Amino acid sequence: MFQLVSDGGCEFTNEEAQLHKVDVVPFYVSFDEKTYLKESIDIAKDEYFRRMQEDKELFPKTSQPNPQDYVDAYRPHLEAGKDILSLTISSKLSGTHNSATLAAEMLKEEFPDRAIVVIDTLNSALGQNLILREVVKMRDAGYSLQETAEVTAKVLRTTKIYFTLDTLEYLKKGGRVGPTTALVGGILGLRPVLHLVDGEVEQLESVRGRKKVMQLMEEGIAKAVKDDKENINLCVGHILSEEDGLSLKASLEKSIGTEITTPLTEVGATIGTHTGPGALAVAYCMKYETFVS
Amino acid sequence: MNNWFILAQALGLITILFEFASYQIKDKPKYFLAQGAGSLFWTAMFFAMGMASGMDTMASLIVAAIYSMVRNLVFWRIFAQNTPRSKEFGLNFLLAMIVVALIAGFFSIMNAPEQVRWLHIIGMITALSFVIGQYLPGVHAVRITVVFYAIAAMLLQTPLNILYGDFRWNIMGILIEVAKIASVAVFYARFSKDADDPVLTFAKPQLEAQK
Repeated sequence: MFQLVSDGGCEFTNEEAQLHKVDVVPFYVSFDEKTYLKESIDIAKDEYFRRMQEDKELFPKTSQPNPQDYVDAYRPHLEAGKDILSLTISSKLSGTHNSATLAAEMLKEEFPDRAIVVIDTLNSALGQNLILREVVKMRDAGYSLQETAEVTAKVLRTTKIYFTLDTLEYLKKGGRVGPTTALVGGILGLRPVLHLVDGEVEQLESVRGRKKVMQLMEEGIAKAVKDDKENINLCVGHILSEEDGLSLKASLEKSIGTEITTPLTEVGATIGTHTGPGALAVAYCMKYETFVS
Repeated sequence: MNNWFILAQALGLITILFEFASYQIKDKPKYFLAQGAGSLFWTAMFFAMGMASGMDTMASLIVAAIYSMVRNLVFWRIFAQNTPRSKEFGLNFLLAMIVVALIAGFFSIMNAPEQVRWLHIIGMITALSFVIGQYLPGVHAVRITVVFYAIAAMLLQTPLNILYGDFRWNIMGILIEVAKIASVAVFYARFSKDADDPVLTFAKPQLEAQK
């Protein structure tokens, strides 16, 4: 059996990581660009977002795990004679994939008989979360490292994540929208719906009003996945917006006609820094079983 | 019959086709392209009408049509590119267009005969609402605002505004506005159940797997 490693973009809680035997290499977050804290270790996700919510001027920075962080994560498993499958957040969003790849190369000479496969999920947050869940299932079902890597490449192509924000302020701070767009969008109550396309954040549309955007997401996603409801996994996430997250999850379950078994997930800093508190997200992917005979 | 008047009618017929078609289109870039093409013929029609019946009462309509053509074509590119940068540019362009419309509107109101100024004021207000409605997301705002704008534009082409000359009813101009209203009605009849569809189209996982 191989060891699974993922960066913090997978949004596994510490308990989930322990339960599913996944080593999570955390991202760093900083409020002052001097002190960098490990997400979910030195600072809890909700604490991070509460500080953002309390101080509107605050725009924290995130930093990728460095190659040494990955070396430290990989080494004990390699020493124990295990191969490694390492999933990373989209390489278009972060240099984490590069850090993980560099670490794998650094350890190659030291452990020539061991394999380290690093996969760029082209996703983040809930999308990466769902892919990792499929990989966990494959590993637990006894698939080899190579088989798992091959099927994962297919699963990640079907993985989609959509998220909506409560304010355009954080997109403005991150340079993703201009000041006029943020100002006018704020006056008009526009809620952008963003998604990842080939690993990059793109805007799908803007909708007026929180209630409306939730309704359109529910209807649109239900329409997109309904025919495949037996073959997909779906996940709903939020940032300090648990009530809306639960409401969206319940309405999606009703519209699709199936239970969403993945727990409501709290989205972390990698996406959250750009969205701010109040964001809602939905991701889905095809189950790995649809790609194996 | 005046040749300019006949030409105006022919140009108007082409405008009607584009105007009607544009309000059946949900996709914003395609909508703006159809509108831009329609505005080109619309401008030409008002020019021909002005040559037929006098430029004084047509001047504001010609300016409005040119403004509409430029705006639609710029918005077409902005929405086709659909990047944060293009959207920021689009919004700044929209604000600039509103300022230009206010200034041009002010002068056209002042130049209009005193007894028809009220109509030009209504025309300017509805035109501004329509411009903003065009830029707003979704399919509804543009269709609601265009109805009010079309009514005002229609009245501007009747003896209420065309006070002198042999052609006090610009029938073709009126038909263009009627076509817009009819197209909105047809749109809602066609898409009464899923008018919002293009606002949010989510990827089907099965199709993604086949790519």
